[in-house]
Amino acid sequence: MMQYTALPEEVLMSIEKPERYIGHEINAVYKDKEKIAVRFGMCFPDVYEIGMSHLGIAILYDMFNKFEDTWCERIYSPWVDLDKVMRERHIPLFTMESQEPVKNLDFLGITLQYEMCYTNILQVLDLSGIPLISTERTWDDPIVIGGGPCSYNPEPIADFFDLFYIGEGETRYRELLDVYKDSRAKGESRDEFLHRAAKIPGMYVPRFYTPEYNDDWTLKAFVPAFDDIPTKILKELVTDLDDTYYPEKPVVPYMKVTQDRVVLEIMRGCIRGCRFCQAGQIYRPVRERSVEFLKDKAEKLLKNTGHEEISLSSLSSSDYTHIEELVRFLIDDCTKKKVNIALPSLRIDQFSVDVMEKVQDVKKSSLTFAPEAGSQRMRNIINKGLTEEDIINGAVLAFKGGWTKVKLYFMLGLPFEQDEDIEGIAKLCNSIAAAFYEAIPKEKRVNGRVNITASTSFFIPKPFTPFQWAVMDTPDDFIRKAGLTKHYIHEQLNQKVIRYIWHEADVSMLEGVLARGDRRLSKVILSAYKKGCIYDAWSEFYKHEAWLESFKECGVDPDFYMYRRRKDDELFPWDFIDCGVSKAHLLREWKKAQQGIVTDNCRTRCSGCGSARFDCGICINGR
Amino acid sequence: MKVRFKFSKHGVLKYIGHLDLMRYFQKAFRRTDIEVLYSKGFSPHMIMSFAQPLGVGVESDGEYFDVEVDDAEDISTMVSRLNEQMAEGIVILDVVKLPEKFTNAMASVAAADYELNFYKNSPLSEELLKKYESADAVTFIKTTKTGEHIINVKEFVFEIRLMDSATLFVKVDASSAGNLKPLNLVQALLKLDDKNPEDYPFHILRKDTYMRDNSGNLVPLNVIEHE
Repeated sequence: MMQYTALPEEVLMSIEKPERYIGHEINAVYKDKEKIAVRFGMCFPDVYEIGMSHLGIAILYDMFNKFEDTWCERIYSPWVDLDKVMRERHIPLFTMESQEPVKNLDFLGITLQYEMCYTNILQVLDLSGIPLISTERTWDDPIVIGGGPCSYNPEPIADFFDLFYIGEGETRYRELLDVYKDSRAKGESRDEFLHRAAKIPGMYVPRFYTPEYNDDWTLKAFVPAFDDIPTKILKELVTDLDDTYYPEKPVVPYMKVTQDRVVLEIMRGCIRGCRFCQAGQIYRPVRERSVEFLKDKAEKLLKNTGHEEISLSSLSSSDYTHIEELVRFLIDDCTKKKVNIALPSLRIDQFSVDVMEKVQDVKKSSLTFAPEAGSQRMRNIINKGLTEEDIINGAVLAFKGGWTKVKLYFMLGLPFEQDEDIEGIAKLCNSIAAAFYEAIPKEKRVNGRVNITASTSFFIPKPFTPFQWAVMDTPDDFIRKAGLTKHYIHEQLNQKVIRYIWHEADVSMLEGVLARGDRRLSKVILSAYKKGCIYDAWSEFYKHEAWLESFKECGVDPDFYMYRRRKDDELFPWDFIDCGVSKAHLLREWKKAQQGIVTDNCRTRCSGCGSARFDCGICINGR
Repeated sequence: MKVRFKFSKHGVLKYIGHLDLMRYFQKAFRRTDIEVLYSKGFSPHMIMSFAQPLGVGVESDGEYFDVEVDDAEDISTMVSRLNEQMAEGIVILDVVKLPEKFTNAMASVAAADYELNFYKNSPLSEELLKKYESADAVTFIKTTKTGEHIINVKEFVFEIRLMDSATLFVKVDASSAGNLKPLNLVQALLKLDDKNPEDYPFHILRKDTYMRDNSGNLVPLNVIEHE
């Protein structure tokens, strides 16, 4: 086979990191396109090294390529240097495998991992020569389908997609591809195909639903065009995570990507129910993979990739029932193979400290806590089941094990926040430092002193969380609160060992608008893209002024989406989706937050969120 | 036991840079059952030494690296076992056992052969080579931290000839002290005809890499004299 690249040599030699575009990686799947009925392009609308690190795409790539009639290829956003060259030289966007134009495909699947990638979706469509607006497309264009967490409020990007897949991808694609093949064989129109697709569970075809608005700009109704498509779309999910697709031979990139390691997804969902967290709601109920399944996959994945590191993936790994057995197995197996183990999202307790002493260089690594809020009052409001005692005890255990670096993650701008809660951040950091000096005698202090890094991000209310009703802070509030945090930290006795880092407020504002936005934002996103906005998630490329101009020109007030007090019974743009957790439950949680009442986790006591109807996972076992 | 592998690198893999190529081989070894030895410590790494790094965009028929493997390893099957894990474009050509305390691949490199093919339009001619032969100095300006230096490429070229009207063969110094890059040689050469190298794009193929044997002769890195 003659290796071919879509980009000519002089282009590849003139751009940064040509390895991003050449394909032909180990374990990449090549098929004879003449023997293929459906060509599927799976796109992560960000640069290669980010996109290649995503487990969800690896799972779906494996699934599609197990279908004999389907060839799935990968697509990423060209970096800004190549973007410019492709526009100048009219080079169409191509897939990694065949290096052929994206436009040749039957489907273009785009994963929606964060709101700030929305202009990159337009970049991908535009460079592919696919009309940006879905209703302007013909059978000369692929079917553009979106999926992933942001599809739980797809409305801001509704105009750009033919279809959205709501929920976990493993369950309904086979059915969709079969309908597609049948529809094409019968010579049906694009609309006829989409109408049939809209009847498949989990599928949402935005063009067949019309939003109506009240005079105050809120949503009045959301009306389907046909009687035979659902008014409410229930998310799809895998009920048995041991009996589903999981890649054993994932693609191994040449260049160093963000996740340059084997990733083992041990479970989906989270028992915790933190009130700010969307993932904790939309992936309910908690479903675990068996230890046997994971041991088998770990061995095969290490063997087939040659990676030198393995990492566990889940929302809260300590809550995995068999975590100790799994980790002990990995330590044993990996030490033999000289493989490093990364254990993110482990709660700091005796077990994890023992384990981490074995797998990490204590002197170099740091310990991470995510209290999210500084005061107990605030942690109760957000339902973060973590007390100051837990944190101090965990830190002392770690200090005794030799660690001296501690990282703490907090959010500013949480609902009902008062200045005392912000002061709590500083006090907590100070208490941890004090605990170090108390627990470790002078002669045993490894690096002489403790290093504490407190980092704050700004809270952004997300759909399908109890805080979906919350009023977001303004950038001025954020800046004041960051300043206040700094001030309080300086007041502490141990302030010299506490470092404070905060994130910028402008980007948070846009994310806040897009997260809870409606379909009227499509034209704003389009306008921003036409003003040159891409890679908004990268602060060096984020053009705040261009976005503000776009809102103005489109007659859309961003404040409406961020600062408006939402009524309890307001119809939200995402309410046509049923994520399993009922709106009544979310509202109950919102009220409990206002009173600072904590809700038990799923393992302790069922809170009746509504996910039990899926009849799987923790809802039927393991409490 | 220390062994030295020889491999070739062609096709789209020429865009893989040196550091990524090292990572590629480390992962490839992990996919085989070849027992490679590791350094000690918290992040053990394979004990490997590559000869001369190959620039991005350059293809090669003669690349080398050393690696330490378990003494019990069967050297006769090692080439095929590693080849099973290669991406299209990289082929393992040979492996040889190195004597105790043999100079590692990186430190051994003395020279390299290159074929430079001008694929759009060729600036090459017999006259140009004659000019080169008769000139006292054929130079380019090298910019380093200490400033600009005039380098006479003739001091670093061991052999130079036309293969055809568009292809030049050169054997040049590739040692760490005197490595001459093909691009610099072409710059110096074309200056004799007042030509701008940017107008004459060329492909670079490294044919082989050499070390000095005990008698001081240039031999390929896999030609080992055992005592």
